[in-house]
Amino acid sequence: MKKIFSHIILMSYILVIIIPFVFVLFSSFKENNIEIVTNPWGLPSSFHFDNYVMAWKNAKIGTYFFNSLYISVVASVATLGFGAATSYALTRMKFLNLSKFFYSFILLGLVIPTGSLLVPLYKLITDLHLYNTHLALIFPYATFALPVSIYIICAFMRAIPSELEEAAMIDGLGAFGLFIKIILPISIPPLVTVFILNFLGNWNEFVMANFYLSSENLRTLPVGMVGFRDAFNTNYAQLSAGIMYSVVPVLIIYSILQEKIIEGVTAGSVKG
Amino acid sequence: MNKTLRNPLVYILLLLPTVLLYCLFMGMPVIQAFYYGFTDWDGLNPPTFNGIENFQEAFSDSDFWLSVLNNVYFILFSMVIQLPIIIFLALLISQIKRFKAFYKTAVFIPSILSTAVIGILWGFIYEPDSGLLNQFLGLFGVEKIYWLSDKSTAMISILITNAWQWTGFYIVLILAAILGIPKDLLEQAEIDGATNWNKSTRIIIPLIRPIIIVVMLLSIAGAMKALDIVWVMTEGGPFGTTDVMATYMIKEAFREYQYGYGNAISILIFIFTLVITGLFQWITKNKERIEY
Repeated sequence: MKKIFSHIILMSYILVIIIPFVFVLFSSFKENNIEIVTNPWGLPSSFHFDNYVMAWKNAKIGTYFFNSLYISVVASVATLGFGAATSYALTRMKFLNLSKFFYSFILLGLVIPTGSLLVPLYKLITDLHLYNTHLALIFPYATFALPVSIYIICAFMRAIPSELEEAAMIDGLGAFGLFIKIILPISIPPLVTVFILNFLGNWNEFVMANFYLSSENLRTLPVGMVGFRDAFNTNYAQLSAGIMYSVVPVLIIYSILQEKIIEGVTAGSVKG
Repeated sequence: MNKTLRNPLVYILLLLPTVLLYCLFMGMPVIQAFYYGFTDWDGLNPPTFNGIENFQEAFSDSDFWLSVLNNVYFILFSMVIQLPIIIFLALLISQIKRFKAFYKTAVFIPSILSTAVIGILWGFIYEPDSGLLNQFLGLFGVEKIYWLSDKSTAMISILITNAWQWTGFYIVLILAAILGIPKDLLEQAEIDGATNWNKSTRIIIPLIRPIIIVVMLLSIAGAMKALDIVWVMTEGGPFGTTDVMATYMIKEAFREYQYGYGNAISILIFIFTLVITGLFQWITKNKERIEY
């Protein structure tokens, strides 16, 4: 009996989470605002896929989509490469005091509220002539993700036993070769986790993308969606289709990799 | 063997990109904020040093204090309303056997989505004429409420959306801690005839105290960072009633061309965050550390 009661409470909570999505999904197939307003809860009377076609064209969702994809991938790969290299140097190479210093220095980045850097960073971006280029996002995204990524990768690399390295050294591998051929392949699990987390973070970022880009053609999906809402506030059906374009890829990634994502988040958040 | 791993050239090359990026895109803005925060500067003409004038201005600026108060509302809402719900739901999920994985996966979904998109989505829900919420309340004869444009409801509407997005994230953190408690401890309690309520309040909650404190710390940090949800839903309106420190900073810098003042506010956000989290850690004397 008690269990059923628990399930009822939990299911109601799940409903509260899911209803907004179902509403947007249904709305995205409806004919127009009138159908959405008069029949907000029901299934669409007929499925209007042209909302998706129109949103992709009118709202340039296609452009935003590929901007987001490009920026997120490049920034996440950069974080991963630099983060892995740094973590290797800090955990495996024998410059212990120096490494201790750099590790604390990098983790200091965790206490800096990045939102508060928005205005001074804007000045730096314009000074470097990066304003209104994709690099204006790629550099800060890659940098701001480094502290927590290095924290997670270091935790893993520290635990690798040194026997493998020793054997490889006897075979004549240098410090750099050890990194590429031995440590990097072993570290794939945490690297995958870190990549996904950063990718999702970059894909979802809004504030910097909103203030550091002015050309419509350079916009990312979240900024494009907000602009679309402000411009086409009257066409809920197309706006809903636009929302689906930005939500569905994330949901697909999540459904495939949810265990890795949750594991990474718990590891990253509980820094202790 | 030590020689190989003592190659200074490789060491430097591996560290260099990170350290450079880090100094340039994190270090420089911090230093610049501290420099321009003490100047009168419109972003175009040369900045002039004006000492602590910006900070005096902030402390006597009622709009600034209104934005600070809204950050405090974010903190209070998450501590007083959200946290008990989070702990309750995490306990529920931990104590059932069927669908445990399903619940854990489902509650987390809002936290992986873009805050901007969630802001738009909830804009639909709060829409006065056709929004889901007013239509639902209308069934009970409640009159139309202008959720996001009425001074008295705008802030609470944002707080609810924010809670909707992040509750599941914290549930998963707490759930992981509960599931990490050794089974025999709980079985022993069951043999002794403990009810679920007793088990939860006397054993589980005290054992997961450290993670609860971490969740509280993360909520404080999150509340101080609150920015995009406010920007997308109301841009701080109506009349600044939903402005948080970060949105106020952006408006002063980018709309009013008060770059010096904007930088001063950015320093204040930084200091307030450090002071509040530091104070919180001191109060809770968080000596226990948990590693996952």
